[in-house]
Amino acid sequence: MVTAGTVPRRGRASRTSSHDARGALPPRRNAYQQSMARLGWGFSAPALVVIAAVTIFPIVFSVVMSFSNVNVLGSGFSIDGFTLSNYTTVFQASVWQYALAFTVGYTVVTVTLEIVIGTLIALVLERLEAFRGWMMAILLIPWSLITVISATLWGYIYDPTYGIADRIFGALGMGSPVILGTPTSAIIAMIVADVWKTTPFVTIIVLAGLVMLPRDVYEAAEVDGASGWKTFWTVTLPLLRPTIALAVLFRILQAFGVFDLPFVLTQGGPRNATTSLAILGYRVMFTDLKFGPGAAVATTTAVLVVLGCLLFLRVFKSQVTETGDES
Amino acid sequence: MKASRRPLLTAGLALAAATALALTGCSGGSSSAQNGSSKPSGNATKGSISFWAGPSMVGGQDMNKILITEFQKENPGITVKYIPAPQDTDTNRATLTTQISGGGGPDVYLGDVVWPAQFASHQLALPISQYLPKSYWDTFANGLVAGATYNGKVYAAPFFEDQGFLYYRTDILKEDNLTVPTTWEQLVSDAKIAQSKKQVQYGYVFQGANYEGATCDFMEFLTDAGGKVLSSDGKKSALDSPAAVKALTFEQSLVKQGIAPAAVSTYQETQSMNAFQDGDSLFLRNWDYAYASANGQGSKVAGKVGVAPLPTFQGESGSGYSNIGGWDLYVNPHSKNVAADLTFVKFMTGDTAQKIIATQFSEIPTNQAVRTSADVKASNAVLAIVPQTQLVARPSNSPQYPEVSQAIYQAVNGVLAGSQSPSDAIKSASSQINTAVSNGGL
Repeated sequence: MVTAGTVPRRGRASRTSSHDARGALPPRRNAYQQSMARLGWGFSAPALVVIAAVTIFPIVFSVVMSFSNVNVLGSGFSIDGFTLSNYTTVFQASVWQYALAFTVGYTVVTVTLEIVIGTLIALVLERLEAFRGWMMAILLIPWSLITVISATLWGYIYDPTYGIADRIFGALGMGSPVILGTPTSAIIAMIVADVWKTTPFVTIIVLAGLVMLPRDVYEAAEVDGASGWKTFWTVTLPLLRPTIALAVLFRILQAFGVFDLPFVLTQGGPRNATTSLAILGYRVMFTDLKFGPGAAVATTTAVLVVLGCLLFLRVFKSQVTETGDES
Repeated sequence: MKASRRPLLTAGLALAAATALALTGCSGGSSSAQNGSSKPSGNATKGSISFWAGPSMVGGQDMNKILITEFQKENPGITVKYIPAPQDTDTNRATLTTQISGGGGPDVYLGDVVWPAQFASHQLALPISQYLPKSYWDTFANGLVAGATYNGKVYAAPFFEDQGFLYYRTDILKEDNLTVPTTWEQLVSDAKIAQSKKQVQYGYVFQGANYEGATCDFMEFLTDAGGKVLSSDGKKSALDSPAAVKALTFEQSLVKQGIAPAAVSTYQETQSMNAFQDGDSLFLRNWDYAYASANGQGSKVAGKVGVAPLPTFQGESGSGYSNIGGWDLYVNPHSKNVAADLTFVKFMTGDTAQKIIATQFSEIPTNQAVRTSADVKASNAVLAIVPQTQLVARPSNSPQYPEVSQAIYQAVNGVLAGSQSPSDAIKSASSQINTAVSNGGL
């Protein structure tokens, strides 16, 4: 009886406090809460230190290196002086300029394809009455494979001697193109492998968004006599915006750092056709041992992708508010 | 939230600054005397050391394990811990450099023959000539120690040598009454005959992918044509020459005429080996392991494969040039027991070990006495023709060699893939090399 009596009271108490918070009043913190907060920080400090050690420190270290004369030596890194020369070297290098153009183009094309195809598949899956679970499971196989493994598998498919792609082109009377041997076809082949692998990720996110859409809007659209096509463009897509934005952001972040696909499939070739910024940074750092310019490549790449995401969010957000004003 | 984030950020910055300070400076090794006058640290007969090497398997047995067992029989006081290294050379190097510059890493490591200059200039390898006398270095075959020397100090002991060879189908040459080609022109005409009779699909397979191997193959064509990569002082590119254009044009013509498959622009050793072993090609350029492999289990051409020095261009004297490959033994500057490391290095380059690698694993020994001994020659067909070959080294005496090589293999790969003309490719490679050796660019 005692417990039964306390539970509702507690519930009421929490409801009032949340009401307080909503009522524009700053949340009051008593001494107990403050000491608990301190205790909380204390308990999470070891974890935070570990996170700092494995993420924040390397990032800061990389930025420091990018602004210094770095020499890797047996005795450790020798870092001295502040310099911008790493950045001027990077910006002037035609291989960096190409890698930037390639990475941006690759990101735009793969993300666009994946969003379009992923959304289409999600729409089909949502309508699917039977076997939806099975279809999802099958779809997730490419996504769950480690990229190095799926890239190796695609390498077998594209192999010019015994690859299945070669046989298919032969059967279609298109001769025997060396898929990974010419710049255009190598880039297309990489895009295909990427789209195959990551479209399911977009599908899952969009499907989750679709399932959560309110039914009544669709009923209203039906009552108004909107066609399926019109419903999709004016109801489904605007409501899906936040979901799609999330998927795009995740994908941009990942696609901009593409490394494993070219590393396994082409080593950045033919010539430097598939050298992404990540491949270039790796090569400059770990093959040429030029850690200063390498860190500059890494830092610029990170800054660029963050800027790209912010820009995307800004454009997308303004569109969202526009539609918000309309409704 | 805001208030609590700031101390964390400050802490992070402080941590970074502290580490940057700690890592700064403290470079510079003691300048020591040359030619074996210094005394290594540690005990030459006691202790435990680690050895880093890529597994080298023949018939299910790892060469490194067998050698370590032999070593411990002779040196019971020293325990050797074997650390298998990544098979991919660049991954191997990246792992080693990060480990060693981080203050750790294996005591002795097997490294590529083109690493000494880069590793020396970054202090990732110990100049072992300060501990080992001239009499030791004299046990090696000519020219090998020079390849491991940088600024007058030797940084590695040559463990096994490798070089390019021409492999050919004995059955087809005999059927067509052809002799083993000594010129590239003859190779092309032989190939055309066999191809027109449908005995093989292709005439010649080699390495043209976007990697180090394409540099090795090109070095052979280039030297045959009379060209070179760097000026004699190593400070400028000497690549922009008619000889280089001739060499690259010839490589391109192999693909254009259908002598080599178009896919050669994606071929590393494995792919070219597969094509030859499947009976698809009359000739193959490969390293010394290819003889055992082509005549071994799983090869469709086993028993029908011969080996010869590579051809040269018409009008040149002697055989063609073979690019030097192979692996050297390096000592980590952080090693605590350099004396034991050197005992191990001496064993690995001595009679017992060198005989094992030559007779059981068909490697080319670096030890001159083993190399010329009759029983070793008799057990290794490839070794028997080594004296007839002419060697050329890659320009790896430059600390910027990796970038020089990238310029070369990208040019070769671009031409084979059809995205550049030979003369344009040579011009841009040459300017890339000039930027690289002046330590500029990316």
